[in-house]
Amino acid sequence: MDYTNQKNPQNYSQMEDLKTLDLEESVSETIMRDLKMIAYKLKYVLIPKEQEDNGKELRNWDLWGPLIFCLALAMTLSFKADSTTNSSKSDVFAIIFVLIWVGAFVVTLNAQLLGGKVSFFQSVCLLGYCVFPINIEAIIIAFIGSYLPFVVKLIPVIICFAWSAYSSVGFMASLVPPHKKKLAVYPVFLFYLFLSWFSLIV
Amino acid sequence: MDFGIQNQTDEQQQANKEPSNQNGNEGNKKQTGCCAFLTIEFYTPYFNVTETDVLQRIQGTFLPLRPDFLNLIRGNPDLWGPIWINATLIFMITAIANLRQIDEEKENQSFVISYVPQATALLYIIAFGTPIVLAAVMKFLGVDLSFFQTICLYGYSMSTLLPITILCYFQNELFLWLIIAYGFANSSLFLIINLKEELDKLQIQKKYIIIGIVVTMQLSLYLFYKLVFFSYVKE
Repeated sequence: MDYTNQKNPQNYSQMEDLKTLDLEESVSETIMRDLKMIAYKLKYVLIPKEQEDNGKELRNWDLWGPLIFCLALAMTLSFKADSTTNSSKSDVFAIIFVLIWVGAFVVTLNAQLLGGKVSFFQSVCLLGYCVFPINIEAIIIAFIGSYLPFVVKLIPVIICFAWSAYSSVGFMASLVPPHKKKLAVYPVFLFYLFLSWFSLIV
Repeated sequence: MDFGIQNQTDEQQQANKEPSNQNGNEGNKKQTGCCAFLTIEFYTPYFNVTETDVLQRIQGTFLPLRPDFLNLIRGNPDLWGPIWINATLIFMITAIANLRQIDEEKENQSFVISYVPQATALLYIIAFGTPIVLAAVMKFLGVDLSFFQTICLYGYSMSTLLPITILCYFQNELFLWLIIAYGFANSSLFLIINLKEELDKLQIQKKYIIIGIVVTMQLSLYLFYKLVFFSYVKE
Protein backbone atom coordinates (compact mmCIF):
# COMPACT_ATOMS: atom_id res chain seq x y z
CA MET A 1 0.00 0.00 0.00
CA ASP A 2 2.53 2.52 -1.13
CA TYR A 3 1.11 5.89 -2.03
CA THR A 4 4.31 7.86 -2.27
CA ASN A 5 5.03 7.27 -5.91
CA GLN A 6 1.56 7.53 -7.41
CA LYS A 7 1.93 9.39 -10.64
CA ASN A 8 -0.89 11.29 -12.26
CA PRO A 9 -2.93 8.69 -14.16
CA GLN A 10 -2.42 8.76 -17.91
CA ASN A 11 -5.90 7.70 -18.73
CA TYR A 12 -9.07 6.69 -17.04
CA SER A 13 -8.34 2.99 -16.73
CA GLN A 14 -5.34 3.78 -14.58
CA MET A 15 -7.60 5.82 -12.40
CA GLU A 16 -9.67 2.67 -11.84
CA ASP A 17 -6.71 0.78 -10.37
CA LEU A 18 -6.11 3.56 -7.95
CA LYS A 19 -9.68 3.46 -6.75
CA THR A 20 -9.18 0.32 -4.71
CA LEU A 21 -6.60 2.09 -2.57
CA ASP A 22 -8.88 4.90 -1.54
CA LEU A 23 -9.85 3.82 1.94
CA GLU A 24 -6.68 4.98 3.60
CA GLU A 25 -5.98 8.23 1.81
CA SER A 26 -6.89 11.72 2.92
CA VAL A 27 -10.23 13.26 2.03
CA SER A 28 -8.66 15.97 -0.08
CA GLU A 29 -6.95 13.37 -2.22
CA THR A 30 -10.21 11.54 -2.79
CA ILE A 31 -12.02 14.72 -3.70
CA MET A 32 -9.26 15.89 -6.02
CA ARG A 33 -9.24 12.58 -7.78
CA ASP A 34 -12.97 12.71 -8.39
CA LEU A 35 -12.72 16.28 -9.58
CA LYS A 36 -9.98 15.32 -12.00
CA MET A 37 -12.15 12.51 -13.29
CA ILE A 38 -15.00 14.92 -13.87
CA ALA A 39 -12.67 17.36 -15.62
CA TYR A 40 -11.32 14.56 -17.80
CA LYS A 41 -14.79 13.42 -18.82
CA LEU A 42 -15.82 17.00 -19.47
CA LYS A 43 -12.95 17.57 -21.86
CA TYR A 44 -13.74 14.27 -23.51
CA VAL A 45 -17.39 15.09 -24.03
CA LEU A 46 -17.12 18.72 -25.06
CA ILE A 47 -14.01 18.78 -27.20
CA PRO A 48 -14.63 16.48 -30.16
CA LYS A 49 -10.94 16.01 -30.97
CA GLU A 50 -10.41 14.09 -27.74
CA GLN A 51 -12.72 11.31 -28.86
CA GLU A 52 -10.31 9.03 -30.64
CA ASP A 53 -11.86 5.77 -29.53
CA ASN A 54 -15.35 6.48 -30.87
CA GLY A 55 -17.00 7.22 -27.59
CA LYS A 56 -16.05 4.11 -25.64
CA GLU A 57 -15.04 6.29 -22.73
CA LEU A 58 -18.67 7.23 -22.32
CA ARG A 59 -19.42 3.77 -20.95
CA ASN A 60 -17.83 4.84 -17.68
CA TRP A 61 -20.75 6.97 -16.74
CA ASP A 62 -21.06 8.84 -13.47
CA LEU A 63 -23.66 11.24 -12.15
CA TRP A 64 -21.40 13.47 -10.03
CA GLY A 65 -20.52 15.69 -12.96
CA PRO A 66 -24.13 16.25 -14.04
CA LEU A 67 -25.12 16.93 -10.44
CA ILE A 68 -22.39 19.54 -9.98
CA PHE A 69 -23.29 21.32 -13.22
CA CYS A 70 -27.00 21.17 -12.50
CA LEU A 71 -26.54 22.62 -9.01
CA ALA A 72 -24.16 25.28 -10.31
CA LEU A 73 -26.62 26.35 -12.99
CA ALA A 74 -29.59 26.35 -10.62
CA MET A 75 -27.68 28.36 -8.02
CA THR A 76 -26.33 30.88 -10.53
CA LEU A 77 -29.78 31.53 -11.91
CA SER A 78 -31.48 31.66 -8.55
CA PHE A 79 -28.93 34.13 -7.13
CA LYS A 80 -29.75 36.38 -10.03
CA ALA A 81 -33.48 36.00 -9.63
CA ASP A 82 -35.24 39.00 -8.29
CA SER A 83 -36.93 37.89 -5.12
CA THR A 84 -39.37 40.78 -4.97
CA THR A 85 -41.38 40.28 -8.10
CA ASN A 86 -42.64 37.52 -10.32
CA SER A 87 -40.24 34.68 -9.71
CA SER A 88 -38.73 33.95 -6.32
CA LYS A 89 -35.30 32.40 -5.89
CA SER A 90 -36.64 29.05 -4.74
CA ASP A 91 -39.04 28.87 -7.70
CA VAL A 92 -36.18 29.36 -10.11
CA PHE A 93 -33.97 26.79 -8.39
CA ALA A 94 -36.75 24.22 -8.31
CA ILE A 95 -37.73 24.73 -11.94
CA ILE A 96 -34.16 24.45 -13.22
CA PHE A 97 -33.36 21.42 -11.11
CA VAL A 98 -36.50 19.54 -12.09
CA LEU A 99 -36.11 20.62 -15.71
CA ILE A 100 -32.60 19.23 -15.99
CA TRP A 101 -33.22 15.87 -14.36
CA VAL A 102 -36.71 15.20 -15.67
CA GLY A 103 -35.65 16.54 -19.06
CA ALA A 104 -32.63 14.24 -19.25
CA PHE A 105 -34.80 11.33 -18.13
CA VAL A 106 -37.49 12.00 -20.74
CA VAL A 107 -35.02 12.57 -23.58
CA THR A 108 -33.25 9.30 -22.77
CA LEU A 109 -36.56 7.48 -22.47
CA ASN A 110 -37.54 8.87 -25.86
CA ALA A 111 -34.34 7.53 -27.43
CA GLN A 112 -34.97 4.12 -25.91
CA LEU A 113 -38.59 4.05 -27.05
CA LEU A 114 -37.50 4.86 -30.58
CA GLY A 115 -35.46 1.70 -30.54
CA GLY A 116 -32.10 2.90 -29.37
CA LYS A 117 -30.08 0.41 -27.41
CA VAL A 118 -28.26 2.42 -24.84
CA SER A 119 -27.73 2.25 -21.16
CA PHE A 120 -30.05 4.69 -19.47
CA PHE A 121 -27.50 6.29 -17.17
CA GLN A 122 -24.88 6.59 -19.87
CA SER A 123 -27.20 8.86 -21.79
CA VAL A 124 -28.24 10.88 -18.74
CA CYS A 125 -24.54 11.29 -17.91
CA LEU A 126 -23.77 12.64 -21.37
CA LEU A 127 -26.70 15.05 -21.35
CA GLY A 128 -25.64 16.25 -17.91
CA TYR A 129 -22.05 16.91 -18.95
CA CYS A 130 -23.21 18.83 -22.00
CA VAL A 131 -25.01 21.26 -19.70
CA PHE A 132 -21.61 22.77 -18.93
CA PRO A 133 -21.63 25.37 -21.77
CA ILE A 134 -25.02 26.56 -20.53
CA ASN A 135 -23.34 27.06 -17.16
CA ILE A 136 -20.69 29.21 -18.77
CA GLU A 137 -23.22 31.41 -20.52
CA ALA A 138 -25.31 31.73 -17.34
CA ILE A 139 -22.27 33.00 -15.46
CA ILE A 140 -21.33 35.42 -18.25
CA ILE A 141 -24.83 36.84 -18.36
CA ALA A 142 -25.11 36.97 -14.58
CA PHE A 143 -22.04 39.15 -14.31
CA ILE A 144 -22.25 41.47 -17.28
CA GLY A 145 -25.82 40.99 -18.44
CA SER A 146 -27.29 44.07 -16.86
CA TYR A 147 -25.01 46.31 -18.89
CA LEU A 148 -25.93 44.84 -22.22
CA PRO A 149 -29.04 45.20 -24.33
CA PHE A 150 -31.08 42.09 -24.97
CA VAL A 151 -29.80 41.51 -28.47
CA VAL A 152 -26.13 41.50 -27.45
CA LYS A 153 -26.87 38.98 -24.71
CA LEU A 154 -28.13 36.63 -27.40
CA ILE A 155 -24.64 36.11 -28.83
CA PRO A 156 -23.04 34.06 -26.02
CA VAL A 157 -26.37 32.30 -25.53
CA ILE A 158 -26.48 31.12 -29.12
CA ILE A 159 -22.82 30.09 -29.14
CA CYS A 160 -23.09 28.04 -25.96
CA PHE A 161 -26.39 26.52 -26.99
CA ALA A 162 -24.87 25.43 -30.31
CA TRP A 163 -21.86 23.97 -28.50
CA SER A 164 -24.03 21.93 -26.09
CA ALA A 165 -26.34 20.73 -28.80
CA TYR A 166 -23.53 19.78 -31.14
CA SER A 167 -21.71 17.78 -28.46
CA SER A 168 -24.67 15.69 -27.51
CA VAL A 169 -26.36 15.30 -30.87
CA GLY A 170 -23.57 13.12 -32.28
CA PHE A 171 -24.05 10.57 -29.54
CA MET A 172 -27.85 10.60 -29.58
CA ALA A 173 -28.11 10.31 -33.33
CA SER A 174 -25.88 7.26 -33.33
CA LEU A 175 -28.21 5.38 -31.02
CA VAL A 176 -31.36 5.09 -33.09
CA PRO A 177 -32.11 3.62 -36.52
CA PRO A 178 -31.38 6.08 -39.38
CA HIS A 179 -34.96 6.87 -40.32
CA LYS A 180 -35.74 8.03 -36.79
CA LYS A 181 -32.66 10.15 -36.19
CA LYS A 182 -34.39 13.50 -36.26
CA LEU A 183 -37.05 12.23 -33.86
CA ALA A 184 -34.34 11.40 -31.33
CA VAL A 185 -32.34 14.56 -31.89
CA TYR A 186 -35.14 17.12 -31.73
CA PRO A 187 -35.86 16.57 -27.98
CA VAL A 188 -32.16 17.11 -27.18
CA PHE A 189 -32.27 20.35 -29.11
CA LEU A 190 -35.45 21.42 -27.28
CA PHE A 191 -33.92 20.53 -23.89
CA TYR A 192 -30.85 22.74 -24.38
CA LEU A 193 -32.95 25.47 -25.95
CA PHE A 194 -35.11 25.55 -22.84
CA LEU A 195 -32.09 25.77 -20.54
CA SER A 196 -30.44 28.46 -22.66
CA TRP A 197 -33.63 30.47 -22.66
CA PHE A 198 -33.73 30.35 -18.88
CA SER A 199 -30.16 31.50 -18.54
CA LEU A 200 -31.00 34.40 -20.80
CA ILE A 201 -34.23 35.37 -19.11
CA VAL A 202 -33.63 35.04 -15.41
CA MET B 1 -16.71 8.65 -2.65
CA ASP B 2 -16.31 5.03 -3.64
CA PHE B 3 -19.32 5.45 -5.85
CA GLY B 4 -17.02 4.85 -8.77
CA ILE B 5 -16.45 1.15 -8.10
CA GLN B 6 -20.14 0.39 -7.96
CA ASN B 7 -20.64 2.39 -11.15
CA GLN B 8 -18.35 0.12 -13.08
CA THR B 9 -19.96 -3.15 -12.11
CA ASP B 10 -23.44 -1.74 -12.72
CA GLU B 11 -22.27 -0.48 -16.04
CA GLN B 12 -20.92 -3.84 -17.07
CA GLN B 13 -24.25 -5.42 -16.28
CA GLN B 14 -26.12 -2.73 -18.12
CA ALA B 15 -23.91 -2.91 -21.16
CA ASN B 16 -24.81 -6.57 -21.47
CA LYS B 17 -28.51 -6.23 -20.82
CA GLU B 18 -31.27 -5.36 -23.25
CA PRO B 19 -32.63 -1.83 -22.82
CA SER B 20 -34.13 -1.38 -19.42
CA ASN B 21 -37.03 -3.42 -18.26
CA GLN B 22 -38.14 -2.33 -14.85
CA ASN B 23 -40.26 -5.30 -13.94
CA GLY B 24 -37.73 -7.99 -14.66
CA ASN B 25 -39.82 -9.71 -17.35
CA GLU B 26 -36.72 -10.16 -19.42
CA GLY B 27 -36.73 -12.01 -22.68
CA ASN B 28 -40.51 -11.89 -23.23
CA LYS B 29 -41.40 -10.56 -26.64
CA LYS B 30 -44.92 -9.58 -25.64
CA GLN B 31 -45.41 -8.10 -22.25
CA THR B 32 -48.31 -9.61 -20.41
CA GLY B 33 -49.42 -9.28 -16.85
CA CYS B 34 -50.94 -6.54 -14.79
CA CYS B 35 -47.89 -4.32 -14.86
CA ALA B 36 -47.15 -4.62 -18.56
CA PHE B 37 -47.89 -0.96 -19.13
CA LEU B 38 -44.98 -0.03 -16.87
CA THR B 39 -42.36 -1.56 -19.16
CA ILE B 40 -40.72 0.15 -22.10
CA GLU B 41 -41.44 -2.66 -24.52
CA PHE B 42 -45.17 -2.04 -24.12
CA TYR B 43 -44.83 1.44 -25.61
CA THR B 44 -42.20 0.78 -28.26
CA PRO B 45 -44.71 -0.14 -31.01
CA TYR B 46 -46.19 3.34 -30.66
CA PHE B 47 -43.00 5.08 -31.69
CA ASN B 48 -42.84 3.47 -35.08
CA VAL B 49 -42.85 6.63 -37.17
CA THR B 50 -40.37 8.67 -39.17
CA GLU B 51 -40.00 12.40 -39.33
CA THR B 52 -41.90 12.65 -42.61
CA ASP B 53 -44.82 10.77 -41.03
CA VAL B 54 -44.90 13.18 -38.12
CA LEU B 55 -44.84 16.21 -40.41
CA GLN B 56 -47.60 14.75 -42.55
CA ARG B 57 -49.74 14.18 -39.48
CA ILE B 58 -49.19 17.72 -38.26
CA GLN B 59 -50.12 19.07 -41.67
CA GLY B 60 -53.28 16.98 -41.51
CA THR B 61 -54.43 18.86 -38.44
CA PHE B 62 -54.46 22.22 -40.17
CA LEU B 63 -57.06 21.13 -42.69
CA PRO B 64 -59.79 19.80 -40.43
CA LEU B 65 -62.46 19.43 -43.06
CA ARG B 66 -60.65 16.56 -44.73
CA PRO B 67 -60.87 13.48 -42.52
CA ASP B 68 -57.53 12.12 -43.67
CA PHE B 69 -56.00 12.05 -40.25
CA LEU B 70 -57.73 9.02 -38.89
CA ASN B 71 -56.79 7.10 -42.00
CA LEU B 72 -53.21 8.23 -41.58
CA ILE B 73 -52.98 6.91 -38.07
CA ARG B 74 -55.35 4.01 -38.28
CA GLY B 75 -52.79 1.28 -38.32
CA ASN B 76 -50.06 3.12 -36.55
CA PRO B 77 -50.97 5.58 -33.78
CA ASP B 78 -47.88 7.19 -32.38
CA LEU B 79 -47.03 8.75 -29.04
CA TRP B 80 -44.02 10.77 -30.14
CA GLY B 81 -46.21 13.53 -31.57
CA PRO B 82 -48.40 14.14 -28.50
CA ILE B 83 -45.47 14.19 -26.09
CA TRP B 84 -43.13 16.45 -28.01
CA ILE B 85 -45.69 18.80 -29.52
CA ASN B 86 -46.77 19.63 -25.98
CA ALA B 87 -43.18 20.01 -24.81
CA THR B 88 -42.55 22.43 -27.68
CA LEU B 89 -45.68 24.33 -26.72
CA ILE B 90 -44.51 24.71 -23.12
CA PHE B 91 -41.27 26.23 -24.33
CA MET B 92 -43.03 28.52 -26.78
CA ILE B 93 -45.53 29.75 -24.20
CA THR B 94 -42.68 30.69 -21.86
CA ALA B 95 -40.62 32.29 -24.61
CA ILE B 96 -43.42 34.29 -26.22
CA ALA B 97 -44.86 35.41 -22.88
CA ASN B 98 -41.42 36.61 -21.85
CA LEU B 99 -40.81 38.39 -25.14
CA ARG B 100 -44.06 40.26 -24.66
CA GLN B 101 -42.80 41.50 -21.34
CA ILE B 102 -39.66 43.09 -22.68
CA ASP B 103 -39.64 46.73 -21.88
CA GLU B 104 -36.51 48.51 -23.01
CA GLU B 105 -36.81 51.36 -20.57
CA LYS B 106 -37.02 49.29 -17.42
CA GLU B 107 -33.78 48.37 -15.66
CA ASN B 108 -33.29 44.89 -14.19
CA GLN B 109 -36.49 43.56 -15.61
CA SER B 110 -37.65 40.25 -14.24
CA PHE B 111 -39.53 37.80 -16.38
CA VAL B 112 -42.24 35.39 -15.44
CA ILE B 113 -41.17 31.77 -15.31
CA SER B 114 -44.05 30.33 -13.37
CA TYR B 115 -45.73 29.53 -16.67
CA VAL B 116 -43.55 26.44 -17.00
CA PRO B 117 -45.18 24.31 -14.29
CA GLN B 118 -48.61 25.75 -15.08
CA ALA B 119 -48.32 25.07 -18.78
CA THR B 120 -46.92 21.59 -18.17
CA ALA B 121 -49.83 20.67 -15.94
CA LEU B 122 -52.45 22.16 -18.24
CA LEU B 123 -51.17 20.76 -21.49
CA TYR B 124 -50.36 17.30 -20.32
CA ILE B 125 -53.59 16.89 -18.42
CA ILE B 126 -55.61 17.97 -21.41
CA ALA B 127 -53.51 16.12 -23.94
CA PHE B 128 -53.43 12.84 -22.04
CA GLY B 129 -56.13 13.00 -19.41
CA THR B 130 -58.97 14.02 -21.71
CA PRO B 131 -58.38 11.30 -24.30
CA ILE B 132 -58.13 8.64 -21.62
CA VAL B 133 -61.44 9.75 -20.13
CA LEU B 134 -62.97 10.11 -23.58
CA ALA B 135 -61.79 6.69 -24.68
CA ALA B 136 -63.23 5.15 -21.52
CA VAL B 137 -66.57 6.90 -22.11
CA MET B 138 -66.58 5.83 -25.74
CA LYS B 139 -65.81 2.24 -24.90
CA PHE B 140 -68.64 2.34 -22.40
CA LEU B 141 -70.97 3.69 -25.05
CA GLY B 142 -69.87 1.12 -27.57
CA VAL B 143 -67.46 2.88 -29.92
CA ASP B 144 -64.49 0.93 -31.15
CA LEU B 145 -61.54 3.30 -30.85
CA SER B 146 -58.46 2.37 -28.87
CA PHE B 147 -56.86 4.50 -26.15
CA PHE B 148 -53.78 5.14 -28.17
CA GLN B 149 -55.65 6.35 -31.22
CA THR B 150 -57.55 8.86 -29.10
CA ILE B 151 -54.35 10.02 -27.40
CA CYS B 152 -52.70 10.38 -30.79
CA LEU B 153 -55.66 12.35 -32.15
CA TYR B 154 -55.74 14.73 -29.19
CA GLY B 155 -51.99 15.18 -29.10
CA TYR B 156 -51.84 16.18 -32.72
CA SER B 157 -54.83 18.51 -32.33
CA MET B 158 -52.59 20.53 -30.01
CA SER B 159 -50.43 21.40 -32.97
CA THR B 160 -53.02 24.05 -33.90
CA LEU B 161 -51.68 25.92 -30.89
CA LEU B 162 -48.17 26.12 -32.34
CA PRO B 163 -48.75 28.98 -34.81
CA ILE B 164 -51.31 30.54 -32.48
CA THR B 165 -48.76 30.83 -29.70
CA ILE B 166 -46.32 32.54 -32.02
CA LEU B 167 -49.01 34.95 -33.17
CA CYS B 168 -49.88 35.73 -29.55
CA TYR B 169 -46.76 37.84 -29.45
CA PHE B 170 -48.75 40.75 -30.83
CA GLN B 171 -50.35 43.02 -28.30
CA ASN B 172 -53.69 43.76 -29.88
CA GLU B 173 -56.49 42.31 -27.71
CA LEU B 174 -58.97 41.93 -30.54
CA PHE B 175 -56.46 40.09 -32.68
CA LEU B 176 -55.66 37.72 -29.84
CA TRP B 177 -59.31 36.88 -29.25
CA LEU B 178 -59.77 36.30 -32.95
CA ILE B 179 -56.94 33.85 -33.28
CA ILE B 180 -57.92 32.07 -30.09
CA ALA B 181 -61.42 31.67 -31.46
CA TYR B 182 -60.03 30.40 -34.76
CA GLY B 183 -57.84 27.91 -32.93
CA PHE B 184 -60.76 26.66 -30.88
CA ALA B 185 -62.90 26.23 -33.99
CA ASN B 186 -60.13 24.51 -35.93
CA SER B 187 -59.18 21.99 -33.29
CA SER B 188 -62.75 21.22 -32.28
CA LEU B 189 -63.71 20.64 -35.91
CA PHE B 190 -60.65 18.50 -36.39
CA LEU B 191 -61.53 16.29 -33.46
CA ILE B 192 -65.22 16.03 -34.25
CA ILE B 193 -64.80 15.29 -37.94
CA ASN B 194 -62.26 12.62 -37.23
CA LEU B 195 -64.47 11.04 -34.61
CA LYS B 196 -67.56 11.40 -36.81
CA GLU B 197 -67.07 8.17 -38.63
CA GLU B 198 -67.04 6.22 -35.42
CA LEU B 199 -69.73 8.28 -33.75
CA ASP B 200 -72.25 7.90 -36.55
CA LYS B 201 -72.77 4.36 -35.42
CA LEU B 202 -74.27 5.58 -32.16
CA GLN B 203 -77.58 7.05 -31.17
CA ILE B 204 -78.00 10.81 -31.26
CA GLN B 205 -77.88 11.40 -27.50
CA LYS B 206 -74.68 9.43 -27.03
CA LYS B 207 -73.12 11.20 -29.96
CA TYR B 208 -73.85 14.55 -28.40
CA ILE B 209 -72.44 13.50 -25.06
CA ILE B 210 -69.13 12.81 -26.66
CA ILE B 211 -69.16 15.90 -28.82
CA GLY B 212 -70.08 17.88 -25.72
CA ILE B 213 -67.10 16.57 -23.76
CA VAL B 214 -64.75 17.31 -26.62
CA VAL B 215 -65.98 20.84 -27.17
CA THR B 216 -66.02 21.71 -23.46
CA MET B 217 -62.47 20.60 -22.93
CA GLN B 218 -61.23 22.48 -25.98
CA LEU B 219 -63.06 25.59 -24.85
CA SER B 220 -61.54 25.43 -21.39
CA LEU B 221 -58.08 24.91 -22.87
CA TYR B 222 -58.30 27.92 -25.15
CA LEU B 223 -59.87 30.17 -22.53
CA PHE B 224 -57.18 29.23 -20.04
CA TYR B 225 -54.59 29.92 -22.68
CA LYS B 226 -55.84 33.39 -23.35
CA LEU B 227 -56.71 34.44 -19.84
CA VAL B 228 -53.71 33.11 -17.99
CA PHE B 229 -50.80 33.14 -20.37
CA PHE B 230 -51.43 36.01 -22.70
CA SER B 231 -53.64 38.44 -20.86
CA TYR B 232 -50.92 40.94 -20.05
CA VAL B 233 -51.05 43.81 -22.48
CA LYS B 234 -48.70 46.75 -22.52
CA GLU B 235 -50.36 50.12 -22.47
